[in-house]
Amino acid sequence: MEAPPVTMMPVTGGTINMMEYLLQGSVLDQSLESLLHRLRGLCDNMEPETFLDHEMVFLLKGQQASPFVLRARRSMDKTGMPWHLRYLGQPEIGDKNRHALVRNCVDIATSDNLTDFLVEMGFRMDHEFVAKGHVFRKGIMKIVVYKIFRILMPGNTESIEPLSLSYLVELNVVAPAGQDVVSDDMRNFAEQLKPLVHLEKIDPKRLM
Amino acid sequence: MYVMHNSEYPLSCFALFENGPCLVADANFDTLMVKLKGFFQNAKANKIESRGTRYQYCDFLVKLGTVTMGPSARGISVEVEYCPCVIANDCWNLLMEFMQSFMGSHTPGIPSVFGAKHDSVYSPGDTMVQYMELFNKIRKQQQVPVAGIR
Repeated sequence: MEAPPVTMMPVTGGTINMMEYLLQGSVLDQSLESLLHRLRGLCDNMEPETFLDHEMVFLLKGQQASPFVLRARRSMDKTGMPWHLRYLGQPEIGDKNRHALVRNCVDIATSDNLTDFLVEMGFRMDHEFVAKGHVFRKGIMKIVVYKIFRILMPGNTESIEPLSLSYLVELNVVAPAGQDVVSDDMRNFAEQLKPLVHLEKIDPKRLM
Repeated sequence: MYVMHNSEYPLSCFALFENGPCLVADANFDTLMVKLKGFFQNAKANKIESRGTRYQYCDFLVKLGTVTMGPSARGISVEVEYCPCVIANDCWNLLMEFMQSFMGSHTPGIPSVFGAKHDSVYSPGDTMVQYMELFNKIRKQQQVPVAGIR
């Protein structure tokens, strides 16, 4: 899975367009332990990493029909970490042979006055949630198993309740545009997780 | 909204509003602004920069730059930093004394960001706010035939 040298990649506007390749699935609560056990065996040897994040989704409504969406994420359990601002583009309408969902992504680390700044820019918070789970890595692939919690009172992350009786499983890679071999590697890894979890390309538009 | 870069912090991007929050982000913020171009107008003609030499004198850092807007030079900027101290009010007198030694009557008064900060820690964002104020002053100035010093 060696990426070609950075200088060979197409460069637009002085920066390299990064794409997120994504496969998703879910497991019921009772199957979590066996999935974590399998992942510990398959993934890179590292300290088991858990996370507790608070994510807020902001929208900017302009003249365009569809609003501009930005995701602001902060760690609730690790101190000193920057806030994570993320832009995700529309999924690329590629050929059916591509095994993963591909979309443009821009990741930015910021200082902690991010929400004040976004509001000043004209963004408004659409919704927020808390995500709690585990992170695994295998080479450049990231595997996240987490549970989404609904926030009962806006702004109060202490009172939360689980959204469902299952855990969301995501396999993603952030790589420069044009690296379709990445989705083949992802599919091969996803095969190893069957039948515990079935990771698929889920088009968010088809759910709406 | 102003998006600023400072060679002293090459991996960062500063985004600020006048009298508003100053966001410190990494270099990918510029990529995000390209994506947002449908929502915000990029006033490229207003781009202003200060370019020059940086001098280190013991604990002081002095940066002398020529302020240019497009092809025309509009002034000279002088930045003086006393590196060991992070509390603005504790070293203002020392800074002033140092500046008087080479700037004489051109020594500026206490910057407005110090007034707001009092005893809290100074940060790179405060430097960017001062540059923003200086650049706005220069933008509003009429262009003079002889390079003016501010």
